[in-house]
Amino acid sequence: MANARVNVPATAMRGEIIEIRTLIAHTMETGFRRTHLGAPIPRNIIKFFVCRYNGVEVFRAELHPSVSANPYISFSTVATESGTLTFQWSGDNGYNATESAKITVT
Amino acid sequence: MKIIETPKVSRRSFMVGSAAVGSGLALGLNLPFGGPSVVRAQDGSPEITAWVVIRPDDTVVVRIARSEMGQGTLTGLAQMVAEELECDWSKVTTEYPTPGQSVARKRAWGDFSTGGSRGIRESHEYVRRGGATARVMLIQAAADEWKVPAAECSAANSVITHGPSGRRTTFGKVAEAAAKITPPKDVALKDPKDWKIIGKPIKRLDTVDKLTGKQIYGADFKMPGMLNASIKECPVFGGKVKSFDAAKVMSRKGVKHVFQVGDSAVAVVADHWWQAKTALDALPIVWDEGPNAKVSSAMIAATLKEGLDAEQAFVGNSAGDAKAALAGAAKKVEAVYAYPFLNHAPMEPMNATARYTDDKCEVWVPTQNGEAAFAATLAASGLPANKCEVYKIHLGGGFGRRGAFHDYVTQAVRIAKQMPGVPVKLLWTREEDMAQGRFHPVTQCKLTGAFDANNNLTGLHMRISGQSILTAVRPEALQKGMDPATFQGVARSGEFEFGYAGIPNLLIDHAMRNTHVPPGFWRGVNINQNAIYVECFMDELAHSVKQDPLEFRRKLMAKNPKHLAVLNAVAEKAGWGKPAPKGIYRGLAQMKAFNSFVAACAEVSVEGGNKVKVHRIVCATDPGYAVNPAQIERQIAGSFMYGLSALFYQENTVKDGRIAELNFNTFNSMRLAQMPKVESIIMPSGGFWGGVGEPTICVAAPAVLNAIFAATGKRLREVPLKNLGVTLV
Amino acid sequence: MKRKTRREFLVNASALATVATAAALPSTAAAQLFRTPLNNMPEAIRKVTGAAQVHKGRVKLNLPPLVENGHLVPLSVSVESPMTEADHVKAIHVFTERNPLPEMISFRLGPRAGRAQVSTRVRLADTQNVTAIAELSDGSFWSDSAHLIVTLAACLEEL
Repeated sequence: MANARVNVPATAMRGEIIEIRTLIAHTMETGFRRTHLGAPIPRNIIKFFVCRYNGVEVFRAELHPSVSANPYISFSTVATESGTLTFQWSGDNGYNATESAKITVT
Repeated sequence: MKIIETPKVSRRSFMVGSAAVGSGLALGLNLPFGGPSVVRAQDGSPEITAWVVIRPDDTVVVRIARSEMGQGTLTGLAQMVAEELECDWSKVTTEYPTPGQSVARKRAWGDFSTGGSRGIRESHEYVRRGGATARVMLIQAAADEWKVPAAECSAANSVITHGPSGRRTTFGKVAEAAAKITPPKDVALKDPKDWKIIGKPIKRLDTVDKLTGKQIYGADFKMPGMLNASIKECPVFGGKVKSFDAAKVMSRKGVKHVFQVGDSAVAVVADHWWQAKTALDALPIVWDEGPNAKVSSAMIAATLKEGLDAEQAFVGNSAGDAKAALAGAAKKVEAVYAYPFLNHAPMEPMNATARYTDDKCEVWVPTQNGEAAFAATLAASGLPANKCEVYKIHLGGGFGRRGAFHDYVTQAVRIAKQMPGVPVKLLWTREEDMAQGRFHPVTQCKLTGAFDANNNLTGLHMRISGQSILTAVRPEALQKGMDPATFQGVARSGEFEFGYAGIPNLLIDHAMRNTHVPPGFWRGVNINQNAIYVECFMDELAHSVKQDPLEFRRKLMAKNPKHLAVLNAVAEKAGWGKPAPKGIYRGLAQMKAFNSFVAACAEVSVEGGNKVKVHRIVCATDPGYAVNPAQIERQIAGSFMYGLSALFYQENTVKDGRIAELNFNTFNSMRLAQMPKVESIIMPSGGFWGGVGEPTICVAAPAVLNAIFAATGKRLREVPLKNLGVTLV
Repeated sequence: MKRKTRREFLVNASALATVATAAALPSTAAAQLFRTPLNNMPEAIRKVTGAAQVHKGRVKLNLPPLVENGHLVPLSVSVESPMTEADHVKAIHVFTERNPLPEMISFRLGPRAGRAQVSTRVRLADTQNVTAIAELSDGSFWSDSAHLIVTLAACLEEL
C-alpha cells in the first residue's frame, strides 16, 4: 500500500467536529520476538504521531509495541479555519514520515 | 429423537433473563419479586442451570459447548451431566448453545474449543456441577411444594421421591418452580465409585441419525434463497490475486457473481454449486505467486538436513551431560528419521454458510470451536458481537483442521458482505481442501545413543530438525523463541512427559527450520513423529546390544510406573516373550500424551520382504478415568486407522511452491479390509484426567515399524512406507 | 505479581450477573491453561495517576469480546466531556495486563479535539482485561475496562 494514507474531509463548516483517519505502513517490530535461531529481533516501532492544524498541534499519540503493525489511528478535531493539516510519524532508527491534507472551512 | 438442535433461544427471553431484574418484558418471562428471572429455551421450557433445560414431558436437554466430530464427546459430556442430575437417560437430548449467547451470558458454558483431547477432561468438573446443581434445585422445588425438608427427598431417573411419605413427582412437573430457585453454590459431586452412567459403555446419542442419513452436515446445509459458492485461493502460499477475467464466465447458466475475496482468493457464486465450481475452473485467474513460487520439497529437505548438525538448537529436555556421554562412549548408535507434511483430509471439505446485512451477520458452520468461528465472523463482518451469530453444525471430520483455523468462515462472510441479504454456502472442492490445508509440520530427526563397555545406555541425544507450529499459529506461546509443542511426548514433565527417566544423560533439542507451508494441528500433533523417532530408535538401541526390546525399555522406566504399566499390559496380553504363531512378528511402543499413558503391541507378517499385513494391535490406555469405555475402544481403533493410513500412504510434497497431492488418488487411505484386529485394554488408574481422542494415535505406527523390523531385519526410517516400496496388504 | 485465576477475571469484568447459572468457570488445575503472566500494569497506571483516585465511569472502552489471535484488535475509547477550555479530556491512556509492557498507547487531546473519541488497532497477547484511563483538565482520572478472549489462547493448552 501507499506508505501513509490520511482521510480528512475536503470541506467543513466552521466549528464542525470532523473525524480524521490515518494509516501508515510499518512493521512495528515489538522487540520481543526472536529469530528461528533464538536471537532477539530488535525493536523497531513508530513512537510518536502528531497532527498539526496550520502549524498548531491539535492531537498527539504515543505508541508502544502493543500497537498493531500498520498503525491505524482515528481521532477528531474542530474545523476552525481553512488550511493544511499535517501528520507526522517518528520512531526508532530515526524513522520519520509526513503526510498532509488541505481543508476548506466555510 | 432430534439429537442436535441448534437452539434458537429467543434472544429477547434470554437477554431479559440475563439483564437486571425489573425490565419486565418478553413472553413467558416470570419475574418473581426479588428472585432470579427464568431463562427459557425457544419452546418456553425453563433452564434449571445453563446446562440443563427440562421440558414438561420430562425430556432433559443438556447443553453441550464442545463440538461432536465423531469422537463421542457429545455423548460423554451428556453422560456426565445426567449422572449428577439423576435423570432418565432415555429422555436425554442435547443442544449446542451458540457462541453469541455464550458471550452475552459472560461465557456461561466455558470454553467451546474442542481439540487437544480436552473435551471431557477439561470440562468434566463444571459440567458435572451444572447437573448436580440442577438436581439440588429440582429436589428443593419438590420439597418446597410438599413442605418437607429437602434432605428427606432424593432423585433417580427423573423422579423425585420423599422417603418418609413415599410421595413422588417428576422433573418435568417441578421444573418451573426449580428454575426460580437461587442456584446453590459448591454442590458436592458424586464419588466416582458411585457412578451409574459414567464409566458405562452407553450407546452414543448421535449414531442413529448418522446411520439413517438424517444427520445434516455443513456440506448438506440448505436455506431458502441460498446461493452456492466455490473458491480458489492462490495455490502458492503467500501469493495474491493479480487479476481475473469475470466476463469469461458471467454468461454461464446459473452464475451470479464473481468476487475477489481478500487479497488472495477468487470465488464464483451461482444457483447450484456445480455451476459455481465449473465456472471457477474456467475462470482465467492471474496470480502474483509471491516469493515462494520456487520452493520444493527437495529444498526443504536440504534445510532440515542442515539442522540435524547445526550448532544452535532449542533444548526441550535434558539431564546430565549427553554430549560428554556420547564423546566418552564405548559404542555409539546413530540413525536419522524423517516425517512428512500431512493434510487432515476430513471426509467433509471445508465449508461455511453466511448471510450478511448491516444489521446482522449469521454463519452456519461445522467447527471445533464455536467461539473461534464467532471471532472470525466479528472480524470479517465488522459488526459488533450483538449483531453476529454462529450456529454450529455437526462436523464430517475435524482432526484439528477446524479448531484453530476459520479461514473458510472469513471467506464466507467476505462473500456474503458483497451480496447483502442473500445466504451463500461456500463449499471447497477436495482439491482446494488439499491445497489449502494447515499441515502437520515436516521434520527430520537424528538420534544418537551411547553405550558403556557393559552395554548400558549412558546417553541419548535426540535432535529434531524442522518446522515449528506455534511460530506461525501462536507466537505468543513461544518461550524465548522455543516452541514447546515440538517436544510433545518427550517433555521434561507434565502431560507429555518422556517415559525413560532412567537415561542418565539426555539431550532433546530442536533446530527450528520453518517453511512457507502453513502448519496446523494434525490429530495427535507432534507425538506422531516423536513416537516413531523415539520408539523405533529405542528398538534399534536394544537390537544393537542384542537385548529384548521390552527388557531394554523396562530397565529405563523404573521411575515411570504409569508408562511402564501400559507397556507391560500390552506385552502381557499380546504374549510377548512367548512364541508367536508362525510368520507373526511383534513390535512395541509407548508414550505419554495429552495426560494419558498409552502403549501398543503390533503383530505383523511380511511377505516378499515388503508386503505387510497387520494382523492385530493390542493397545492399552490409562486416561485416569474412563467415561465411556465403548467409546474409548472406538477412538483407539479410529486413531489407528488414521495413524496407519499416514504411515503407509500419506505425505504432502511441495512443488513450485504449492502442494502436489490434490486428491485421494495421491493421498490414499487404508480400507476396511486392511484394518487389523484391535484389542483394547482400558486401565484408568484414577486421580487424574487424560485425553482419549488423540493419545493412542501415536503408538500404532512405531509398533508396526518395530514389528516389520522383527520380521525382515530391515529398519524403515522414512514415512510414508509407500516411498520405500512397502505395501499394506 | 498477583496471578488472577480465570474465574476472578470474569467476575471483575462482568457488569451483569448471569442468573440460574451456578456452574462457574473452570478452576481445576487441568483448566489452568498456559497463560502469559501478568505484567506490572498497576505500577504503570500509578505512574500516570500518581496518588489520585481513579473513578469508574464517563469512559467507554470498546473491544470485541472475542478475537482469534489478538494480532489486530480494533479498539476505541470515548469519554463524556464537553471538551471546552474549562472542561476537557487532556489524555487517554490504554493499558494491558498481560502484554510484555503495560502501556499500549496514549492519546493527547484538548479542547480543539471537539470530541473525546479515538480508535486504533492493537495487539493483545492473551485473554485478558484492557483498561482505558482518561485524564481530565480538572486533574481527575476516570476509567473503563473490557475483557477480551483470544480464542487461539484458549485452544492451546499447556504444552
